[in-house]
Amino acid sequence: MKATRFIYVLIIVALTSSCNNYLDVKPQANIPDTNPVFDKTSAEQALRGVYSSLYYGATFESIGYLSGDNVQWTGSQSQVQEFIDHGVRAENSTINGAWSGIFRVINLANNVLARVAPLEVSPLFLQADKDKILGEAYFLRALAYFDAARIWGGVPIITKPTLTGTDNTDIGRSSTEQTYAQVLSDLTAAEQLLPSPATLTADDRYRANRKTVFALRARYHLYKQEWAQAEDYATRIISDGANYALLKPFNTFFFPATARGTRESVFEIFYNGTTEINAHRGQWQPQTNGGTRQWAPNDALVALLNNPAIGGARSTLIAKDNQNRWYGNLYYRNPGSDPAYVIRVAELYLIRAEARAQQDKLAPAIADLNAVRDRAAVAPTTAATKDQVLLAIENERRVEFALEPHRWYDLVRTGRAKAVLGFTDDKKLVLPIPAGQVLIDNSLVQNPGY
Amino acid sequence: MNTSLIKQSIFYRWKVIVIFLFLSFLATSILFAQEQKVSGRITSEDTKEPLPGVNVLIKGTYNGTITNSEGNFVLNVLSGSTLVTSSIGYVTTEVSVGAETMLNIVLKVDVAQLNEVVIIGYDTRERKNIVGSISKFDPTETKSIPVGSFDAQLQGKVAGVQITSNTGVPGEAVAVRVRGATSINADVSPLYVVDGVFINSNSLQTINTGGKATSPIADINPSDIESIEVLKDASATALYGSRGANGVIIVTTKRGNFEQKPTINFNASNGWAKAAKLWELTTGPEHATLVNEWWINTGGDNPTLNRTFANRPFRPASELVNGQPGRGLPEEQQTYDRLSEIFRTAKLKNYDLSLAGGTKSTKYYLASGYNSQEAILRPLTFERISFKLNLDQKINDKVQVGVSNTITSTYRNQGRAGDGPSGGLLQAALHTPTYLSPFNDQGVLVGRAGFDNVTLLINNYDVNTTSLRYIGNLYLEAELLPSLKFRTSVSADYNNYEESEYWNTFLIEGGTTGLGRSTLTRRAVLLNEQTLSYRKEFNKHSLGVLVGNTLQSDVTNRTSAEGRGFANNSIKLISQASTRNSSQDWTKATLASFFARVDYSYADKYLVDFSLRADGSSRFGANNRFGYFPSVGAAWRVKQEGFLQDINFISDLKLRTSYGVTGNQNFQDFPGQGLWAADASYQGNPGIRPSQLANANLKWEQTSQFNIGVDVSILEKRLSFEFNYYNKYTKDGLTNLPISTKTGFSSIASNGIEISNKGFELGIKSVNLSKGGVTWITSFNVAQNLNKIEKLATPIEFGSRSLILQKEGSPLYSFWVYKQLYVDPQTGNAVYEDVDGKAGITSADRQLVGSFWPKFFGGITNDITYKGFDVSLFFSYSYGNKIYNHNRFFGEASGARDAARIIFKNNLNRWQKPGDITDVPRPDGINVNNYLDGGSRFLEDGSYLRLRSLTVGYTLPTSVAKRLRLEKLRFYAVGTNLFLITKYTGLDPEASANSSQNQPGIDLGTPPQPVGVQIGLDLKL
Repeated sequence: MKATRFIYVLIIVALTSSCNNYLDVKPQANIPDTNPVFDKTSAEQALRGVYSSLYYGATFESIGYLSGDNVQWTGSQSQVQEFIDHGVRAENSTINGAWSGIFRVINLANNVLARVAPLEVSPLFLQADKDKILGEAYFLRALAYFDAARIWGGVPIITKPTLTGTDNTDIGRSSTEQTYAQVLSDLTAAEQLLPSPATLTADDRYRANRKTVFALRARYHLYKQEWAQAEDYATRIISDGANYALLKPFNTFFFPATARGTRESVFEIFYNGTTEINAHRGQWQPQTNGGTRQWAPNDALVALLNNPAIGGARSTLIAKDNQNRWYGNLYYRNPGSDPAYVIRVAELYLIRAEARAQQDKLAPAIADLNAVRDRAAVAPTTAATKDQVLLAIENERRVEFALEPHRWYDLVRTGRAKAVLGFTDDKKLVLPIPAGQVLIDNSLVQNPGY
Repeated sequence: MNTSLIKQSIFYRWKVIVIFLFLSFLATSILFAQEQKVSGRITSEDTKEPLPGVNVLIKGTYNGTITNSEGNFVLNVLSGSTLVTSSIGYVTTEVSVGAETMLNIVLKVDVAQLNEVVIIGYDTRERKNIVGSISKFDPTETKSIPVGSFDAQLQGKVAGVQITSNTGVPGEAVAVRVRGATSINADVSPLYVVDGVFINSNSLQTINTGGKATSPIADINPSDIESIEVLKDASATALYGSRGANGVIIVTTKRGNFEQKPTINFNASNGWAKAAKLWELTTGPEHATLVNEWWINTGGDNPTLNRTFANRPFRPASELVNGQPGRGLPEEQQTYDRLSEIFRTAKLKNYDLSLAGGTKSTKYYLASGYNSQEAILRPLTFERISFKLNLDQKINDKVQVGVSNTITSTYRNQGRAGDGPSGGLLQAALHTPTYLSPFNDQGVLVGRAGFDNVTLLINNYDVNTTSLRYIGNLYLEAELLPSLKFRTSVSADYNNYEESEYWNTFLIEGGTTGLGRSTLTRRAVLLNEQTLSYRKEFNKHSLGVLVGNTLQSDVTNRTSAEGRGFANNSIKLISQASTRNSSQDWTKATLASFFARVDYSYADKYLVDFSLRADGSSRFGANNRFGYFPSVGAAWRVKQEGFLQDINFISDLKLRTSYGVTGNQNFQDFPGQGLWAADASYQGNPGIRPSQLANANLKWEQTSQFNIGVDVSILEKRLSFEFNYYNKYTKDGLTNLPISTKTGFSSIASNGIEISNKGFELGIKSVNLSKGGVTWITSFNVAQNLNKIEKLATPIEFGSRSLILQKEGSPLYSFWVYKQLYVDPQTGNAVYEDVDGKAGITSADRQLVGSFWPKFFGGITNDITYKGFDVSLFFSYSYGNKIYNHNRFFGEASGARDAARIIFKNNLNRWQKPGDITDVPRPDGINVNNYLDGGSRFLEDGSYLRLRSLTVGYTLPTSVAKRLRLEKLRFYAVGTNLFLITKYTGLDPEASANSSQNQPGIDLGTPPQPVGVQIGLDLKL
């Protein structure tokens, strides 16, 4: 009996002494946040993490086109209808998703900037490698702040990574001006750091280089109504005919399913369709193609696109299902490997057309506009006066970017939104800060009227 | 393959195996049978009838037997021994054996069940000596209720245990809350201990079923359960420190008895179930009328919309607008019924076969069961095959070993009943407007409103799950010294959970080329436990000491594959898909615990218990790894005092109180570690990004609980009461506390919250009649729990449209809504309470109105027996709980959702002209004013009284049974949910679209609990 008892005691002692090892369990899908970025490979991985987290895909885009006048909602979720009705409420979940998506990218870019900058340069990690990584991170942060500014106006400007639960929590909203200033500062930094390859590969269209920065700057100056600079930066892309061109026919940039990274594209986000999914198609495609067709071209848009004098070849953006209903067909690849088109060459033509028209350079403006029309197999414009040309550009953008997120922001920046879309409340020109965020964050002040 | 064929063959094989096993076991056990020495007959004092199934034990030994159907027993006894006879419901009686060989023993009815043996943590105790608050429950009476899991069957039976069946689909998770809820993000369901195994009670489901989840508890066959104990107060639960805070449910499965002749039990039942009512929908013409009305109204409100009578949607087909024809006048619309296509009369089947018995040194229980339940919603089904083997073997006088084994295979056809457009069963059947034909103009079946076509959905649904579960325990018990017992055990809960989905090209989810998914999840809980217990009685003192330790590891592995691009709809294996994708997950948590308890009683009058448990959890950092959970309890059996001895009115009186601390660490596995993940590939190359912020100080959530209770029985124990008041306070509550998402993160694991739960429980049992062969017993219980979030830095939103907001100062699960005051009879517009006083109704005007918690809840049972007949009538009730009828929110937006959703009949009561008094406002669009998301109009009273079950049984007289060579034969019929009294306008006031713990009480696309009838027989030989 004694011996047995002794054995039991031994077992207990043995079990308890190994207790601390027993309780030390480490995850296998994660790494500790203590020093995740320490060399060239990990720095590149962290940068890819930013691209992978870009909030494009479906949520963010929908704000831009649903708030315009091209798209109808056939589903029943009120939060989608709110954009179409210009009655967005602060609880809107799309708004919340875009807000957190944008700030997530900002934090990831901040992480890359803060963690890569101190890394030592070596033969395995050249200064050029480092500059490229930093430059891309600046570009991505600029894009995020730009998108934030055009949705909400001023937002909190956060330029340091969040490392603990209290970091950055007390930073309130800056003004719209300050937010755009941050965009410019980041674009300037990116421009200096990024290389400018003479010949672009498809890969260069999925990642930022100096030319990508030029393109976003052209758009930035357009929004800021700095016409000369907008024209200048747009020209830098348009004049690079070896790398960029308006491709014919119109659907070359998205059709067939293998089309991606074409010369039309200045910047598009890559989705491989397996681990990187663009969920956009599900909302557009009809049931027979495995979608719900809850976002659909409205009757007005269908009429415009199918009008050979207006839509021309852009009628390929829509198709009909087995219930005789029109559906949008820009996002169709299954599984979701459709690129998210961020900046296309056509936009730079239309930016320059508008910038030139605003500077009363009507003939070159009309030439730019007609380049886009010609590509879509539509006759040259008949617009002659400045106002006519500007209106023609506005209408051209409506059909050229029918299913891309431009219409709302275009109408807001030109001050035409209320007149065209039929609402009267100025406060609706910026969207609400998510109610949930205002609820938990005392430093966030809601936009008036929400 | 044809699934019904597979099922038939599974069932056939099951029958063959079971019969073979039983025959072989029966043969062996007969060989061990012994001859007799003393015989006896046990009868009831009350009915004078013989009592079968009474335990007869020789005092001081494990030797014993049970009485047969005529109350007779035979036993080898040495003269001078004492026999202890015990049976549930009767006072335990001791009889000394003299020279006589034929004993006549009469047992007294024990209403208060003071001698009932109750399992406390790691030990058993007689009811009279219990200090803590523990409810014991015999599942025999509820096991026929057709749901998948025994916890769902407990509803209304145990005071203070609130059980909500979220859905009428058998085998889906139910919400079980013991004395409220103590946390937001840590698990608030109780700890389940089955035969000493801390089993997993969290669903392993990965399939999207619109928020619902399977119940892992459904893997246990209720027929194998001997008793269920619910441990509620700190004195009872502290020994389970790590998860005691939300109560502990101890399940003990059936075992044989030593010296028991082999007894075979067979139970078979068949039944049918049906929805009591379905939603009332508008007809096609009604729908069209409402859409036109909305069109014209909104056009009048906002002329830029260009919506006029002339271009209304339902206008004659001949009237073209923009070249588009009208949809026809409202009265020309058809009405298509999809609901009756998807709801069915479900079939229920249950068969159980068991063998129990024992020899001098061996006892065994061997059982198998087959249960099949269709859901009333096509094509969902639940099917379970279970095997059970419990075996105990004495090696010698001092040492005993034993095993408990449960093996179950649970098969389910699953589907999305709740939210989500693709594959949504009720989206297709309920939410598709009635005026839309299921066919297009070429006569091809098409889905409408973005949902699937019902017919295609039912015929092509192929989502199924097989859970293979082993729960087992192997123990060795040794008496080291006469008063010192050592026990060691190893236990395992192993679950192999296999899910497969195939969506063919007829379904939205399948797209143009089909989609297949296969997921295999393995969860293994391994336990090792040692206890050393000492018990000594001297003079009037009784002292018990228990020390022990537990090591527990819990590993979950998951691999899954997904394929798209199948050549055709007959090819379903992912290996044949043109695009394939796979993933792997792994997670682990460990727990090391040490515990001790000392109990002491003096003169059977004064009882005290002290316990302490130290738990170390891998979920916390090295500094805060261990939590310490002490408790103290005391009881005073007042009736034992001299001054009450002569007061016959009071049969028993006991006062109890306890205070202690329990913990909770059942949170995500690596909550405090700062982490980066590599889940962010770009262009197919690896990418990394931060995934979680660190909180090195994260520690145990702790709940302190005070309990005071009194147990009284009066009038010769015919009436007994148990009353408890408790006060629980949770601090350092584990929460994923929201942080402003501008930081790039949405939350951080934190100990920031405090929650209180206070309440009372009252149980009353009354023997109304016990005379002339008639007994009528009524049991009643009522409980109240007041829950409040005492501290929470930032409110946390949950549920669709943030309908639930957890906020400091309010109860958990409070509904966050715009409070509609009335509909202005002049304008027809809804008027909401303006909380912030600023112009307009904005999110600042949302307020917390009511919660999921009832004001009180419980159950009433009446059991009546007369001769061979038995009737049991069981009601459960809940009063004061709120439920958000989210179906109405979608279906009562008037015409604003046009062709995208159904409209409910109730919408016809809308305001139409000045002077109309109604609470349904005039149509003005979606989420504008009158049809606001989160309007309180859809927040309803969820109080109910439900006839949960009505059982009528008839047992053949012993003499007749005997002629049939049977010990017992009982026929019975059970009706479930035969009626429901509620003001709730939906189908089921318990419905919840989502089974996650923070979104109860939101009803969307939820099949109701059906009305059921079953007939069956119980046979014993």
